[in-house]
Amino acid sequence: MKKKKNSSATQWIRRVSQLLFFFIFIYFVWKLHFIKEEDEYLKIYNIFFDLDPLIFLLTSLSTWSLESLSYWWIITLIITILLGRVFCGWFCPFGAYHTFFSWIANSVKKKKDYQSRSIAHRTKYFIFFLFLGMSIFGTQWFGILDPFSFFYRTLTTSVFPAFQVASEDISNLIYQKDPNILGFHLTYISEPVRNFLRNYVFKMTQRPYYTEGTLLFITLLLVTGLNFIRPRFWCRYICPLGGLLGLISLKPILRLFNDESTCTNCRLCSKACPAGAQPDQRGNWLPTECFVCWNCVESCKSGSINFKFNIPGLKTIPTGKIDYPRRMVVTAMATGAVGMLGFKVQPQAKGGQPFPEFLIRPPGARSEKEFLQRCIQCGACMRACPTNGLQPTGLEAGWEGLWTPKLVPKIGYCLYNCNLCGKICPTKAIQHLPLQEKQKTKIGLATFDKGRCIPYSYGRECIVCEEHCPLSPKAIYLVEREITLRNGEVVKIKQPEVDANLCIGCGMCEWSCVFQDKAAIRVTCANESRNSNNQPILPSDNLY
Amino acid sequence: MRKLTRRKFLLESTTIAGAIALSKTEASAQQNTPLDMVVCKWKGDPIPEEPTKEIADKLTKKAIEALGGMERFVKRGDIVWIKPNIAWDRTPEQAANTNPDVIRALIELCLNAGAKKVKIGDNTVNDATKSYPRSGIEEVAKELGAEIVYLDRSRFREIDINGERVKKIPIYPEIIECDLVISVPVAKHHAATTVTLAMKNYMGVIENRRMFHQDLPTCIKDITAYMKPKISILDAIRVLTANGPQGGDLKDVKRMNIVSASVDIVALDAFGAEILGYNPNQIGTVKKAYDSGLGQIDYKNKLKFQEIIV
Repeated sequence: MKKKKNSSATQWIRRVSQLLFFFIFIYFVWKLHFIKEEDEYLKIYNIFFDLDPLIFLLTSLSTWSLESLSYWWIITLIITILLGRVFCGWFCPFGAYHTFFSWIANSVKKKKDYQSRSIAHRTKYFIFFLFLGMSIFGTQWFGILDPFSFFYRTLTTSVFPAFQVASEDISNLIYQKDPNILGFHLTYISEPVRNFLRNYVFKMTQRPYYTEGTLLFITLLLVTGLNFIRPRFWCRYICPLGGLLGLISLKPILRLFNDESTCTNCRLCSKACPAGAQPDQRGNWLPTECFVCWNCVESCKSGSINFKFNIPGLKTIPTGKIDYPRRMVVTAMATGAVGMLGFKVQPQAKGGQPFPEFLIRPPGARSEKEFLQRCIQCGACMRACPTNGLQPTGLEAGWEGLWTPKLVPKIGYCLYNCNLCGKICPTKAIQHLPLQEKQKTKIGLATFDKGRCIPYSYGRECIVCEEHCPLSPKAIYLVEREITLRNGEVVKIKQPEVDANLCIGCGMCEWSCVFQDKAAIRVTCANESRNSNNQPILPSDNLY
Repeated sequence: MRKLTRRKFLLESTTIAGAIALSKTEASAQQNTPLDMVVCKWKGDPIPEEPTKEIADKLTKKAIEALGGMERFVKRGDIVWIKPNIAWDRTPEQAANTNPDVIRALIELCLNAGAKKVKIGDNTVNDATKSYPRSGIEEVAKELGAEIVYLDRSRFREIDINGERVKKIPIYPEIIECDLVISVPVAKHHAATTVTLAMKNYMGVIENRRMFHQDLPTCIKDITAYMKPKISILDAIRVLTANGPQGGDLKDVKRMNIVSASVDIVALDAFGAEILGYNPNQIGTVKKAYDSGLGQIDYKNKLKFQEIIV
């Protein structure tokens, strides 16, 4: 009896720990939108990425350097070697998310099947070795399935905006219809709630939009729904970080001990196991799968299983072996290497031009090849971007560059006084530039479409773009020219021109252009500082 | 009994009559027709460079006092919307936004006059979450208990204003529902309208304003006519003389130490154009507003005008 009470307490501690880390993660993602350029200690927002050994391993391999990588992951490594995959069971916020939905799925399901191990466990090792194979050959793509990147990206581009849309639409609907019961208006409640949300939760005067938002929303829904097929489906079968942690927890010190003398072979522990780590199989428990969640210990009615430290020299507790054949390591890595070749046949893989002219990378981004070797598609830059201008790419940067950041000026421009994306990028795919340097870094070049521009084509004043140009002196200047109108009248109109030496391609002109469909001044990635093959303008101060 | 000759009677009676008449006009000048426009300049010898707090405070309060005090415009229990120019993500020193110290003085004046609530907000160009704090105005408002309002883009309401050019325009309803809207611009250069002052400041209560640039004078006149300004205050403590309206380079900023207040928004803009070195008759917005009868350009002769050196 006493034993049972203890294990229950452990489980509660685990739940609290999971909740805590989950909310810390959510808080960091939420908070990232409100940080200021002056803030110090921005590094703290990357703590989950820093703790992820997968990011370190694969990024250092793909770039073949250790530059600007963090070493906090050593903590995770040590914990895992000693205690097994406690990181997955106790600390991982995405794991907590799946634990929650598995719990819901289990409460809904009528029939609970035995959640023993299956051959599908091998998938996550396969995925890990696949990405490892890619990284060794210089291509980084694991970001699309890294748990923190995945969660961060989907929260940023779909979950948070979706919540904002819901709160705005509901309150707007109530505001417009203004229903009341005996003089009590529903707006008395909805308006303060809305104001609170607007001022303290979203703090946006504008709704955020993300180009791949729907697709990313679907990926999260899909992964959530998989919990209804098997509890913690993602952690068991997909997560490449889980695969890596499984590989280094082959012989942990903390092991599950099943007492043969009291065990009644009821297999309740196996039923309770969300990992399929077969706690019922005496001496064949799988440490590589186990999340150390303590479910089995609590489920045992006879009190015959518990976690015990396996102190070397004393009697060893036998464990099962990893279920991953060695030749599949080779298969997976070979698949990765070959798959990587598939990326390289696209023109984007040239590492420079040609890729689409509207692919504007954030200021401080490394040269395209190096950028893709580092970017883990986490979406932190998109969350930090105050104008909502940074958007996930679709396939315009190639499959390799899926969901990497690009600037879409018509949605949001690059704010002149801001360098946050470089400050928070966890792998420094976007380098941190001091503000003064960032203000000189060219990310593109503005071009007038004189067939559309109002002072050129329609004989009227406009110059909204000149007004918005944040440089001083402005990169857009005005030339007064005589124009003959339809009735033969000759008028003087100010026509805007771009100074190619000054323009940094921030896109504020395109954002401000009165044309909403296709701006009459557009920014392309021409002249970007990071790519010397894409600089058509001879730099000079006295040449026009 | 003293003998009263006809000559003496005439002389004495006219003197008395004249004295009465004179005393009456003096009294009525003080009570019935207060000033229309006041310009407060800092004698400041030498002009202190930084900071602006004391100067702005004195100039603003003196100008409003000379106009008849804030009680002339704010009744007890009123809700007042102060509409500064906070369009840009720029610091006060760059003079692209209204000086926060002028706003501070105005909030104090409004609250002292018995205003129930003072709201501050602008439809900014750079995102409000950036430009409000950077301008220093958010801090001042929080300090004094004024409400800083982040305009909600989904709440703009289409309103028929039936102007010459602008017929229908989305306006932020919370602003026009206030009892008094005070336009407090900063004097700046502007490439399209040469100068941007109090009338152009009303571009910050509306949406869909980009196409207005094709005929700014008429559109601005239409909105000003709709807003019916009762009082406007011009901040010329720092003015932006070039690369407006956004500026960015401190070389373009000139320290002038002037605050001007007027019940006539056109006259205020005419004055603003003058201090920026332009002839108000050549400024499209001012000329257009004058032609439509919104106010006077010749403020020195047509209005009760006073210049005060503080």
